[in-house]
Parts: sequence; C-alpha cells; structure tokens
Amino acid sequence: MTDEALLEVRGLKVGFPTPDGLVRASDTVDLRVYPQETLGLIGETGSGKTVLGMAILRLLQPNTIIEGEIRYRGRDLLTLPEDDMRKVRGREIGIVLQNSGTSLNPVYTVGTQIAEAVTLHQGLNGPDAWQRAVELLDTVGIPDPVRMAGEYPHQFSGGMRERALIATALACRPTLLIADEPTKGLDAVTKRGIIDLFSEIDRDHRSVLFITHDIETVEDLATRVAVMYAGEIVEVGGAKEVLGDPAHPYTRGLLASLPERGMQPIPGSAPSLITPPPGCRFSPRCGRACGDCRSEHPGLVEVGPGHYARCMLYDRG
Amino acid sequence: MSRKRVILAASFGIVFTYCAVALLAPVIAPYDPHAITGAPLSPPDEDHLLGTNDLAQDVFSRLIWGTRATLLLGFIGATIAVAIGTAAGIVSGYYGGLIDEAVMRILDVAMTIPIFPLLLIFTTFFRPKIYLIAILMGLLGSFQGVRVIRSQVLSLAVADFVVGTRALGAGDGYIMARHILPGVLPLAGVKFVTSAQHFMLIGIGLGFLGITDPSVVDWGQMINRASQNGAMVLGLWWWLIPPGLAVTLISLALAWLGYACEDEINPRLRVMRI
Repeated sequence: MTDEALLEVRGLKVGFPTPDGLVRASDTVDLRVYPQETLGLIGETGSGKTVLGMAILRLLQPNTIIEGEIRYRGRDLLTLPEDDMRKVRGREIGIVLQNSGTSLNPVYTVGTQIAEAVTLHQGLNGPDAWQRAVELLDTVGIPDPVRMAGEYPHQFSGGMRERALIATALACRPTLLIADEPTKGLDAVTKRGIIDLFSEIDRDHRSVLFITHDIETVEDLATRVAVMYAGEIVEVGGAKEVLGDPAHPYTRGLLASLPERGMQPIPGSAPSLITPPPGCRFSPRCGRACGDCRSEHPGLVEVGPGHYARCMLYDRG
Repeated sequence: MSRKRVILAASFGIVFTYCAVALLAPVIAPYDPHAITGAPLSPPDEDHLLGTNDLAQDVFSRLIWGTRATLLLGFIGATIAVAIGTAAGIVSGYYGGLIDEAVMRILDVAMTIPIFPLLLIFTTFFRPKIYLIAILMGLLGSFQGVRVIRSQVLSLAVADFVVGTRALGAGDGYIMARHILPGVLPLAGVKFVTSAQHFMLIGIGLGFLGITDPSVVDWGQMINRASQNGAMVLGLWWWLIPPGLAVTLISLALAWLGYACEDEINPRLRVMRI
C-alpha cells in the first residue's frame, strides 16, 4: 500500500450553478486509490459520492464548475483533451452507473450493448464481439448466457441487469472500476450475489472504488474506507480502523444508526450545499461540538497510521 | 379487427397501390399521356376508360402518369425535409448551449417563411424541373420538424444509457447515431408521413395554378385545365372528377396513417380522430 497511488484526487471542487446559488457537491476532496485495493466510499444520499465518481470520468454536464486535479497514472484527467479522455473511459477506468434499470438502452439487446463496449476499444467486430459479450455474461454469473445475450434489458431482473452492467464495465478490462451503488434496490439474496461477484472478479490487477451508503457491503469488500459528508471527506483509513474504531463523530453516528448496532439515528438532517454551516459542517448535528467547531473549519488530521479524520477533537494539538 | 386497424390497413393499401401504379405507369396506361388518341371530349367507353379531354388525350392514361408527379413531390420532399430536420434537431438538442441557441433563433426566423407563396414565386420566375421543386420543398419544409425532434432529444441526451455509453468511451457522433437516433425515429416517421401529404397537396396547388413543370403530367394541371375549359358547366365529369378523387384518396390515406402512427407513439394523444 506504500506504492504510488493509481488515482489521486487533489483539491477537487465540483459546483452546480442553480438559480439559488452554487451547489458545492464536492468541496476540496482529496482521495487516493492504490493499485489492487478496494476503496469503499460511504456517506448518505446527497453527500457527493456519485458526483465524485462521475467527475473522475468527466461525465458531468458541461456547465458544471470543476476545479482541482484528478491524477490517473500521473496524468491529470481534468486537463486531458476529449479524444484522449475517450480512450481512458471504459478502457482504463470503467464505471457501473447508478440506476441499472435505465442504464441500458431499451432498444438494443443486452448482448449488443456489451459487444458495443468491446467494439469501441478492442476493435473486435460482429461475431467476435458477440462471443466476448457472451463470455462476459458468463463471467458475471448470468445463467444461460448464450440465450440471455439475445434478450432485451426489460426481460432482465434487477439483479441480472446489475450484473449485465458490471459485465459492460469490465468488457475492456479496466485497471480501475468505479461502482456506484451497485446493490441499490436489490433484495438481500440478490445483494449478496452482487457482493460475492465483486469479491470474485479478478482482483490481481484491478482497483475498485465502491460507492455506497450500505455499510455492510463495505465491511465485506473494502480494504480502505472513505466517509463523505456534505461534499467533504470527513474520515479515511483502513476498513478495520474506520469501521472498527471510528474517529469522526459522524462515522460513529453512521455506525450507531445500523439496525444491528442499536439503530440510533443521527439527529437533524444534512446541511445545505449552497450555504454550508461555518466551521465544521457536521457541528450542528454533532453531540460533541463546542464553540470552536462552529467557527473553525477543521482539516484532515492523522489519528492513526494511514487513518485521517476531519474533526476538532484531533485538530487542537 | 378494430375500426382503427381497418382504417390503418386501408391506408397502407391505398399508399401501396399508388406506389405500384406510379412504378408501373408505362405498363398500366393504355396510351401515351401526351398523344392524341381519338375524338376530343368523348365520354368513357371501352377504348377510353375515362374518356378524353379537349386535346383528345386519354384521361385514364394521364391519371396513371400523374401519380408519378404527385408521389415524387411528396416523397422526395418529405425525405429531404425529415432528414435535415431530424439531423438539426438531434445536434441542437444533444449539444445544447450555444449551438442549440443558434439553431433555435435561426428557426424562429425560418418558421415565419411561408412555404407556398415562396414556392409560387420561385416556380413562376424560374420554371424549374419537378425534381428541383421537390428539393426546394424539402429544404423549406425541413424547419417544421426540428422542434419536435429536439424536445425529444433533450430528454434522451441526459438518459442514463447515454451517459453509460459515454462512460464506455463513445464519441458524440457515435452516441447520436446509435443511441439518440433510434429514439426519435418514430417521431421522424410520423413527420415523414404528414410532410409527404402536405407536399403532395402543395404540388397539386402549384399544378392547379398552372406553374409546375409543364413537361410532366400532374393532377393539379389536369384539374386546372378541366375547370378552365368549363368541364363543370358542360357536365364533363370524367375529365374533372378522377384527378380530384385521386388526390383526395391519397391525402386521406396519408393523414390516417400519420394519425395512427402518432397514436401509437403517444397514447395520451389518443383522441377520436379516426
């Protein structure tokens, strides 16, 4: 884990101009993904997880304001010409988007769409690309892949669509796979299947950025965990440390809200991203907040080896 | 079969028959449409199914050959109009921003140009060949479909599967051709049918005013000549009624077809029009 980061996000700010003001969906995010690791990115809805994933591949709307650096293997993706960026998408970095239900074009068969990914980057055509699509469907555990490749997305169940999307993202063997809530809206058994699939897909040469609000999934898959709150990373570190001995009050609150750990919700609701609270963004909801918390904005402080938290409790001295 | 299906089948049948007649005109028509074939103004008999006109030309043969001019104007015009309109709508809606703004403002101006009077002036002064008239109709008519296509593309351009395809490394051209175009094809199809009908009627109108390509036989000119020469007053129905009926039938069939297609793509529009 000491080697060079595969992906390094530095000071990333993403803003959406709206009539009410600039929505700061991601505010000065620093994040590293190392080779062969699975980084779990957790946080509640609206904390900026998806935006971060989309920003890495430059998939956000053109009017989005993006600042900072996203270095992938030394190259800054934010300043890369569009033509070079196209070669990164799919081939270097694959993404499984949220909403598997609408992420496949209803007018083409699933096989056609997976073959499309193969054709775009690997120059395989016709029967070869189709053959590869069938193989990929088999890899992600779709039963009877030869027949299923010829079916349309609406004929697939939710879990199978998710698997098909994963197959599409894996089609060109990307070095980094971003998975945005791949277990969303699935029942427990299907979810288990998807988690197992993620732990099986050849991990020797691939890193995964696993975005979810489901802490259980992260416990099973992630080697490291980053916690996002109101557009900021508030805690990051090894999965065991962050989930076993959380440093930030928000992470503690998140864990305490799990059904098996008492199901105590965090009081209040997430702050506005247009005018975030001054000082620590979590302070209005934090049980341990004091005067300084409401006026001073804490930085990320190392609380253990490779374990950082953005909290005044540690920032003082 | 429901009433709708009957009408749909009949419309298809009529359009298909017209196309077949246009293609097979030399085989079906008993005489050269320009040739003098006997006595002028003779009523229908076994030699002349629909009698003859004042120049002793066979009305039936002229009716058959006239199909070509009408279908040609309608279909070539509609093809050009829909191709340009769809392309402009897709580009405008997909890229948005300044491109969209530019296309929309150009359209605001272009939509105010009345097609028929402009064609009237053009044909009066230049007496163009029928193909040129068809192309010109297509160009002028292409403004009509852009907005409808664009509004559909606006929602398609932000669809998850479009973002997904971009995430696979696809370029704009590829996405527009493979993932946006199929989504607007039904709309373009309806536009094609309604434009074809519209252009056919414009063509007939131009013919009736006597300013189309004079070397081509067309129904508008036939109706014009018959009414100018008192077919109505003299009771020469075989001269006047057949071309009028032919126009009515094809334009009804296309209108029904257009409504039926529209109903299929947008059930909310399903009012009792047919």
